[in-house]
Amino acid sequence: MSKTDKVKSKQEEEMKHLEILIIDDNEQITKMLTTFLELKEHKCTVANDGKDGLALVKENRYDVVLLDLAMPEFDGYSVIKDLEENDMLKNHKIIVFTASTITQEELDDLVKRGVTSYILKPIDIDVLLAKLVDTANL
Amino acid sequence: MTITETVEEGMFQTENPIHELNRMLVRYDLTPNQAKVYLFLSKIGVKTASEISKALKIPRTETYHLLSTLQQKGIIFSVFGKPTKFNAVGLEESLEILINNEKNRINELELGKSSLIKLWNIIPKYGENEDESQDNKFQSLQGRNSILVKLEQMIKESKENILVLGTEADFKRFYFTEFTKLLNNTKSELRILTDHSSDKQHIFESILPKKVKKIEDKNREDFCFIIKDDSEVIFFISDNKVKEMLAVWTDSKAFVTTLRSLFSLMWKKSHHVNETDAESLLGSEITYEHRLREIEQEKRILNYLQEHFQVLENTRGRN
Repeated sequence: MSKTDKVKSKQEEEMKHLEILIIDDNEQITKMLTTFLELKEHKCTVANDGKDGLALVKENRYDVVLLDLAMPEFDGYSVIKDLEENDMLKNHKIIVFTASTITQEELDDLVKRGVTSYILKPIDIDVLLAKLVDTANL
Repeated sequence: MTITETVEEGMFQTENPIHELNRMLVRYDLTPNQAKVYLFLSKIGVKTASEISKALKIPRTETYHLLSTLQQKGIIFSVFGKPTKFNAVGLEESLEILINNEKNRINELELGKSSLIKLWNIIPKYGENEDESQDNKFQSLQGRNSILVKLEQMIKESKENILVLGTEADFKRFYFTEFTKLLNNTKSELRILTDHSSDKQHIFESILPKKVKKIEDKNREDFCFIIKDDSEVIFFISDNKVKEMLAVWTDSKAFVTTLRSLFSLMWKKSHHVNETDAESLLGSEITYEHRLREIEQEKRILNYLQEHFQVLENTRGRN
């Protein structure tokens, strides 16, 4: 095994068993994403609405949370606002995962408030995985 | 029969406006017969108890009792003489007196509240019912006032959201009450789904337009309900046979969840009251673009999964 392969293999080893929470109302995406991430041996929990997602974030510890912004009723902004008000936003690694039309200023503002990072849909699945791992290892 | 007697007899026939007045006075804490005697004296003038009893066909003993109560309330007075005659205080002054009587009664109730609670707390609890809080409670509310009291309590206690669904006709009965004021001042997230036409006064006009959506005609049903914090609901029952308002309050989770889902569905399909067609179209275009990106995302994940499983199939095939 070459040195590069060894490094890659070590990285893959480190990548294993991330605990990921996906908060997204799009059930197609959550199902397929879960299949994909479980193939990569990560553990996924899914919440298809903001309220359930928020409860899970508050009660559990995840390596990374993938949060959709546009959801009916209790959206991603409400989740962020609630965590912020309870001084919990910076305790979690949250990646905003959105298909909404959102300006760079708005994204920067979210990061300033304590969101770890953001991903705009659509994104290549490998890039998404790399971002998840990078964020979890921050 | 004299002309006066004919007038006296016709006064309380149903088509006479005085009949409506009689009905309205009952709301000022008068019994129907008390209101009848008062209105009779107001319109006919000084009469003896016997004349009143005869004209209104109320037994004499009851008439004496009614006159005594009305005197205590301060809206009729006796004229010295034998036999004693009675006359009524003017309507405006009488209404003022009756309203003040009610206000004083409420003040007394307010003052008595703390002593009542103190006394209650002194008495030990003899039985424990641990499951009580988990029961689904239902309360039937009859009459505008009891419904209004419950509504006001719900709005005041709300911490998360208030969802209101109903037509203007449903809510016009709450004009000039604290209802809209409380809705306006609530810190909870407020959403109102109602019909609306620009040519008439809109009961929710003081509420921020972004909180109000217009029920589309195709979505209109005879529903009227108000949900508090996803935990309590008041559901109005419309019954043309019953004049009085009827409603059911419940904290039944199944009931609240069902109505909550119905509200969400209708809210999603409706537009804001002041939203123009162009704005509405723009809104749907944004949703369309958003949906396209989501589909593209789905496609990319799906492609990966297809490729992955294809590779697995091929590997198995080779083995």
